[in-house]
Amino acid sequence: MLDIILIIARFILLVALAPFIGGLIGKIKNDLRMRKGQPVLQPYYNLRKLFSKEAIIPVNSSWIFTCAPFIILASALACILLLPNASQIRSPDGAASLLIIIFVLALGRFFQALAGLDAGSSFGGMGSSREMFISSFVEPVACLSIFSLILSGANFSVSTILTGLALLTVILTETSRLPVDNQETHLELTMIHEAMVLDYSGPHLAIIELASYIRQIFWITLLALIILPTYPLIAIGSAVIAICVLIAFIEIGIAKFRLFRVPNLLMFGFLLALLSIAAALVRI
Amino acid sequence: MNLLLSNIRLLFVFDPLALFFIIVILLVSFPALIYSIGYSKGKSTPLTLAFIASMLLLVSSANALYFLIFWELMSLLSYLLVLTDSENEQAVSAATLYIVMTHVGTAFLLAAFCFIYRASGSFDLSAMAAACQAMPQLQRDLLFICFLLGFGTKAGIVPLHIWLPYAHPQAPSHISSIMSGVMIKIAIYGFIRFVFCILGINSLWWGVLLLTLATITCLVGIIYALMENNLKKMLAYSSVENIGIILVAISLAMIFVDQKLFPLASLAMIAGLYHVVNHAVFKGLLFLCAGSVQKGAKTLNIEELGGLIKKMPWTALFFLIGAMGISALPPFNGFISEWLILQAFFRGAISVSGKMTLLLAVGAGALALTSGLAAACFVKVFGISFLALPRSEKAAEAKEVDWTMLISTGFLSVLVIALGLAAPFVIKMLAIIPASLFGTTPPIASLFNLYPPPNAVAMLSLLSIAMLLGIFLVMRKKSHPGATWDCGYYKIDSRNEYTATAFSKPFRITFGFFLLPFRRTELVKASSYHVSSFSHETRTTKIFKKYLYDAGLAVMMRFARSFRRMQAGSIHIYIAYIFVTLIFLILFLRII
Amino acid sequence: MEMLTLFAIFLVSAESTLAQKFSGLLRSFRLQSFFLALLTLLAAYRSNSIELYFVGSLILIIKVLLIPHLFQTLIKGINVSDNLGLFVSPQLSLFSAGILGIVSWSFSNQIMHGTDLGQLIIGVSFFVMLVGIFLMISRIKALAQVIGLLMMENGVFLAATVIPGGAPFFIEIAVFFDILVSAMILGLFIYRIKAIFTHIDISKLSGLKG
Repeated sequence: MLDIILIIARFILLVALAPFIGGLIGKIKNDLRMRKGQPVLQPYYNLRKLFSKEAIIPVNSSWIFTCAPFIILASALACILLLPNASQIRSPDGAASLLIIIFVLALGRFFQALAGLDAGSSFGGMGSSREMFISSFVEPVACLSIFSLILSGANFSVSTILTGLALLTVILTETSRLPVDNQETHLELTMIHEAMVLDYSGPHLAIIELASYIRQIFWITLLALIILPTYPLIAIGSAVIAICVLIAFIEIGIAKFRLFRVPNLLMFGFLLALLSIAAALVRI
Repeated sequence: MNLLLSNIRLLFVFDPLALFFIIVILLVSFPALIYSIGYSKGKSTPLTLAFIASMLLLVSSANALYFLIFWELMSLLSYLLVLTDSENEQAVSAATLYIVMTHVGTAFLLAAFCFIYRASGSFDLSAMAAACQAMPQLQRDLLFICFLLGFGTKAGIVPLHIWLPYAHPQAPSHISSIMSGVMIKIAIYGFIRFVFCILGINSLWWGVLLLTLATITCLVGIIYALMENNLKKMLAYSSVENIGIILVAISLAMIFVDQKLFPLASLAMIAGLYHVVNHAVFKGLLFLCAGSVQKGAKTLNIEELGGLIKKMPWTALFFLIGAMGISALPPFNGFISEWLILQAFFRGAISVSGKMTLLLAVGAGALALTSGLAAACFVKVFGISFLALPRSEKAAEAKEVDWTMLISTGFLSVLVIALGLAAPFVIKMLAIIPASLFGTTPPIASLFNLYPPPNAVAMLSLLSIAMLLGIFLVMRKKSHPGATWDCGYYKIDSRNEYTATAFSKPFRITFGFFLLPFRRTELVKASSYHVSSFSHETRTTKIFKKYLYDAGLAVMMRFARSFRRMQAGSIHIYIAYIFVTLIFLILFLRII
Repeated sequence: MEMLTLFAIFLVSAESTLAQKFSGLLRSFRLQSFFLALLTLLAAYRSNSIELYFVGSLILIIKVLLIPHLFQTLIKGINVSDNLGLFVSPQLSLFSAGILGIVSWSFSNQIMHGTDLGQLIIGVSFFVMLVGIFLMISRIKALAQVIGLLMMENGVFLAATVIPGGAPFFIEIAVFFDILVSAMILGLFIYRIKAIFTHIDISKLSGLKG
């Protein structure tokens, strides 16, 4: 019984805080850029605005276009629900849950890419193509990071740090951050995630944005849990904030990679994960 | 050697492994037969029935000689079925390539069987198993290589796969679905039966070799599938990839058996067999849907399709279900089997030694990569063929197919969903097979010890509430149709859409070291300011066919041509050859 | 008596290699078959078996009378020249026949250590077979091939008489009818070849070489 209450509480907390994290990263970036920028709670205002607007459905599209946002949101919510407990993360059972999460995320991504192709514009197709391209290289990195989780033992060992770095590359890719993708632009040369959702509007767009915020907070929480599995909630919270700061610094400090260089980044992440496995085998 | 069945009850064995494969065969063949009623008005049904019967007899035979007989029969009948459209020159050459390669494989099998027969004196499977236990290691290694080559040719392991992408597209769609869904699994059955049960595994390098080959097969298959624009050829390459996945699981089972980790071996075997039935079902479904597309839209070229979801809604839905199954998306069946294989990797990594852990890690990474690439491939296929606007007149005039074809594809789609949702039940059923092979039960209970408990109910209920709320919120507002954003051009048509070649371009560039793409552009200018036409041609090189097989064939043809000098065309010379040989034999060898 | 017949068969077979015309070859073949029939009848008389009488008379009828008659009508019908066409000159052919005789003699030495007569018969039968093959190799026209084949058949029959207990009767009868039918078919084919190609020169087949 207590378990279920804890799960539901965690679920509500993470879903409620998801847009806040997005706003937080944006605020830190603007502070670093010496700009006033948007308020921290801007994502909430955006979502409220979008929910009050009408949705415009392109004439060329089919039922996939209208159903995709819900499937994407459902997959994002399922990730939060399936997130293993801190004590379970290093065990094979926790790894099994994480594997399920990866496939569930793939479900959301599949329908998002289909929705991008459904509108019939070049932008959508381009976004879908790039998204599927990059995500297929993310999968081995994520898989190997989970792999090394099972093998490593103590906190703050070399293998955990390397796993954390590998997961950082995964986070940058999955949350569409620089150097992989730029969330602030709508130029065809530079957008991946934005291109797929270009034709969405109103509540559909709100749902998709919410789903991407939820995915973001999921990955950041996962990274925090991996680094500090046995520490209390406050420590996890501050780790999350620290990771947000780190992501903001990376986004400010680096330019976007050319599309064909992104696999190089992910291969680097793959190597990091392999190294962490090797480190775990040598027990350092 | 008693060929006449005086002891007929020894002929058939119905142990769990054979029963499982019989179920797989029947599950895919029945819909295909019903499909053929609408697709080709039941042409070549007797051949198809004989083909299915030969496969059924093959998996249930207890005698290696009958195994071979039915194996050859199966190959011959499928060759004839591939040749159904025998006026098409491509079909003839594809069928020839197929029959030659399958015979080469069967030669290896024959060699292996005769070798074992010499040691055991009988073709019965139990006697052969006993004989193999007593053989020295070198002979067992040789037998393993023979079995690998023999069954690998039929299954489609790289580099023995080159017949698959030519033969499967040329056959009629229901035959392709049976061949791709069932026939290549028969090779898996043979492999399991002869390597696990008869030969007995006692070397680590067998499993490692197979794991390496299977991983390469996965990656090669899916990369080539991404490049294809012909629907059926893409599905054929995807079959190569999935056979690789099945063999990854089987090789894991081999490794674990050698290390005496029998529960893990059972887990890997369950994963492999689950993927066998999954792939049979969804590949059968996809090939039947491809046939429906061919019947409805008269073309299989993805670049000419588009917008079929509005013209052929049911086929589109079933194709989507099949695509979701093959891309391993929850809650359909492909997800369960791939998840199980990854579980086998993970749980095995804890129990094996250091170097093997690294190997298993790389294998798991490769498997994750192929599943990502497979999802990309099927997004491309489904998205470009079925969504948005039609790219040609053929697609614009497409019509939905008739009910026999819809019923068969619908049945298989329901099966895809059912095999996914009923996973615990299926796994419990499948656990019987490794129990009969190894004698242990796998750790099923711990598989479902996921966190958070109680898992499914809480998750699903919360999710459904969330979705209903969302739908409610959205439906409250009016939503009205508008035009797609087209950057201010006043007319948007199918030329604006993304093409299939463009979709796969990032992959073509990234994997260019392997695909060796070839590109040619031609620019025709009417004047220095006006370009009147621009053509762009791109192709990839099939390195296995070009550098391995064609090169080998060229050497053989050169050799054969040099022998032509002996064939002077005169009967006298030929008789003289016989005469001289006869004299030689009599005088010098004292043989009459 | 048998020795004399055997010697006659030997001489006639050697003489057939000298033939330059078709009529000559046919005549040698008839003589050979005649002496073979004689030998068979002698053996029948000695062993008092009805079957061998029957076989002997069959040889007489089919190989001495029927088949040569068939071929003579064939030749008149297709209207080719009587010339046989030789790759190998008659002298060289005879010399080769001599070599073949030595070969068959050494062969019979090797395999037969029994009675003197048996050894001789094996030797001669083998000689006849080898001469048959030799004729097939060294003569151009298709008809010579047929005669060579029939001579080989003669040799087989000769060898069959040495087998203790005699070759099974039905086998002999079956082989006979086989020969008859083959001869008819071969004759028909040569007729057709001549009709289509207007010659029966099989060295022209070398135009088909790869």
